[in-house]
Amino acid sequence: MPNATLDSGKKPDAFVLTPEKLRRQRIAKFFGEGFLLVVASFVAIVVLFIFYFVAVDAIPFFQQRGFTEFFTSTSWYPADEPGEFGALAIIYGSGMVTIGSALIAVPLGISAAICLSDVLPFSVRQYAKPVIEMLAAIPSVAYGFFALVIFAPLLQNYGGPILMWAWWLIAGPFVLLAVIVVADLITSGDGGGSERKTIRWTVTGVLGILALVFLFWVGNALNAIQILSGTNALNVSLILSFMALPTIVSVSEDSLQAVGRELREGSYALGATRAETIVKTVLPAASSGILAAVILGIMRAIGETMVVWMASGNSSHIPDPWYNYLDSIRTLTATIAGDMGEADQVTGSARYHVLFAMGLLLLVFSFICNLVSERIVVRQRKILAGE
Amino acid sequence: MDLGTRKILDRSFTAVGVTSILLMATALLVVIVPIFTGGIGAIFFKGTIEHRKLQYNEFGKGDLDVLQRQIVETDSYREKVFRMLEAFEVEMELMEPDERSAYSPKYKKVRDLLSHLFGPLPGEMEPILLRYQYGVTRWDEAEESLHKLMFVTKWDYSNPDEMAKPYFVPRSEEFEGTALAGLFPYMESNLENMLLPEQTFYWGFITERSLDAHIFGGIWAEIQGTFFLAVGAMLFAFPLGVIAAIYFTEYAKDNFFTSILRSANSTLAGVPSIVFGLFGLAFFINTVKVSESKSVLAGSLTLAIMILPTIIRAAEEAILAVPKTYKEASLGLGSTKWRTIMTVILPAALPGIITGGIISLGRAAGETAPIIFTAAVSVGATIGLADVFSSPTPALSWNIYNLASEHEAANEIRHVQYGMVLALISIVLLLNLSAILLRARISKKLKG
Repeated sequence: MPNATLDSGKKPDAFVLTPEKLRRQRIAKFFGEGFLLVVASFVAIVVLFIFYFVAVDAIPFFQQRGFTEFFTSTSWYPADEPGEFGALAIIYGSGMVTIGSALIAVPLGISAAICLSDVLPFSVRQYAKPVIEMLAAIPSVAYGFFALVIFAPLLQNYGGPILMWAWWLIAGPFVLLAVIVVADLITSGDGGGSERKTIRWTVTGVLGILALVFLFWVGNALNAIQILSGTNALNVSLILSFMALPTIVSVSEDSLQAVGRELREGSYALGATRAETIVKTVLPAASSGILAAVILGIMRAIGETMVVWMASGNSSHIPDPWYNYLDSIRTLTATIAGDMGEADQVTGSARYHVLFAMGLLLLVFSFICNLVSERIVVRQRKILAGE
Repeated sequence: MDLGTRKILDRSFTAVGVTSILLMATALLVVIVPIFTGGIGAIFFKGTIEHRKLQYNEFGKGDLDVLQRQIVETDSYREKVFRMLEAFEVEMELMEPDERSAYSPKYKKVRDLLSHLFGPLPGEMEPILLRYQYGVTRWDEAEESLHKLMFVTKWDYSNPDEMAKPYFVPRSEEFEGTALAGLFPYMESNLENMLLPEQTFYWGFITERSLDAHIFGGIWAEIQGTFFLAVGAMLFAFPLGVIAAIYFTEYAKDNFFTSILRSANSTLAGVPSIVFGLFGLAFFINTVKVSESKSVLAGSLTLAIMILPTIIRAAEEAILAVPKTYKEASLGLGSTKWRTIMTVILPAALPGIITGGIISLGRAAGETAPIIFTAAVSVGATIGLADVFSSPTPALSWNIYNLASEHEAANEIRHVQYGMVLALISIVLLLNLSAILLRARISKKLKG
């Protein structure tokens, strides 16, 4: 039926592509795609603008005051006349809570990610994921409120016992495990039989007693600690670590899943247990992705404002001794948030621009972290795809 | 290593993983449960007669007849207290000057505590601030005040190694043998008659404006401000984000330019939230001047930039999750690429895109740092829709900070703070919950 039409209402040439129509289509396509491209480039423009506008307001500070004072002095008196703008203690405070939260969040996050990807059955995983999403969804100011109103008084009144219980609950099982492993390693060289068993039990017993003494000794020392102020670096680090956890867990889980079944099955076939498979085979293969996860988590912690502003104590000094997490500190983000209220009336002064200098510092740091983590992820993807 | 040890290690490895997940769940509970119980206390509490007076005078709510009857009843009990004060004042007049000056600060303290309980005492001037015009509105606070009235707090410095410990001495000892001695047992046994606590369901906490910087009243202005800011941010970010995602998934070629755009996206996602605030101040307010000073518009724009990467990523994932066969079938029927995207791919990806949008909405509602310099004020009235271009607004997130850390009576209005945190968390978690449920439905549907 050469003359049949698909739709009696339309002329047959409705489906014919004339050169005119083709041209119109091409023009429409050109402009349409151009529009899409412009919108997609919007993000890049925004990033450029952010860098530009933060830098433009930050540079006058360095022009007026130079770099030395900002990075090497610890005296921060921006309201004085003339003001002092030594931000070393503040930068140190930021670093301190970031490291503190990483120390808690990284081991916890990686083990949770392993558990999610390799240990838990799918049915349980379905319920664990929303928990992590909820942790990520709670607004930072709510965490800050919790840290300030609920956790800080607890820490202040029952600081010693809390530290002791935390020590027992965390260190206790691990020390016990270490005792068993060390006893095994010491006695494994000897011959078999009942004699070896006796030796092994003796060694385990002796080590166990030593370990208990050690646990008690540290626990009592912790119990005696009195925390003078609940708003301190420990409080903030703990809360920040739970805010960084969701990022760490989800990114490292992705990278653990990216390690294929073949590697795991190969390891099982050689007789390794699940723990050995994960530690010796899966983790090394996923290590770069996990590193990226850690970097992203750190970025979340260093850029967080409300928790540190509310619960860090906001005192600009380097703790004494330098590792004292029970001391109040002050961070870059909290300083920007807290000082802008007074400084933005005096636009143009060093006091206003120094806050932008701090913002620039944060921006550059997060940019570098981002670049590094992106490189790492890309490289891992290439390696896993190539081999 | 021994096989037994290896097994133990394997088990404990599993245990560590499971523990860490449980720890996260516990942390979630530890944060949410106290906030939930505290927040409920802002709406559901024992309200005193003062609460009902306030509600009637300021908001016109309540039954006037019942209220008047109760006022007469409470006044008859309070009258006796005021009589005792008068008697003591007469007694003080007759005292020796040094004895009188010894009593006068103690007596002033008693008067202050009583006026905190009952509002201005007879003979006092009507205070200007609303907070002094009424007594305690909540029974739990009244009990605390009563304790303060009954006991003097003293500090024990005897052990120099430890922090000083508080201990309590009955205040009645200070007034032994005077006309005021009878006041304390009377207060203790009759406080309920003087305040008439009733179980109150104060729905107005959500729907009423605040009075006298949140000492009384509700949080409607904050809820509305949060709503304006978050929805405003979505209005800007959502269309932009979806269009950008279409470009990235359907049109972008795998070249250097695209990789730059992608890495710009992840850079934007990693910018600390306070830096967005700085940028909003420097660009939207000081350079472009979208408004004279802080405004909802400036805040929304800043928040929009912040949530843009999240929306783009979520939309990209949703579009990529649409089965290839859909697209191929549509193209095979002869429709153009654009038509395929608009009529086949986007409708199929829409639930996923909306999921991402909902999560971003929650993030915009909860974020504080970007709006500190661009949109938030601590005390403010509700604003109309027409004011969003020019005026700043109170917002839940900012006011939680402000009330908890900077308010002059931060300790007395804990219940308001808890209520606000609960409101904010409920909004955000409900949004997230609906997103999670929506996603579960999608994955079921895609599986077939």
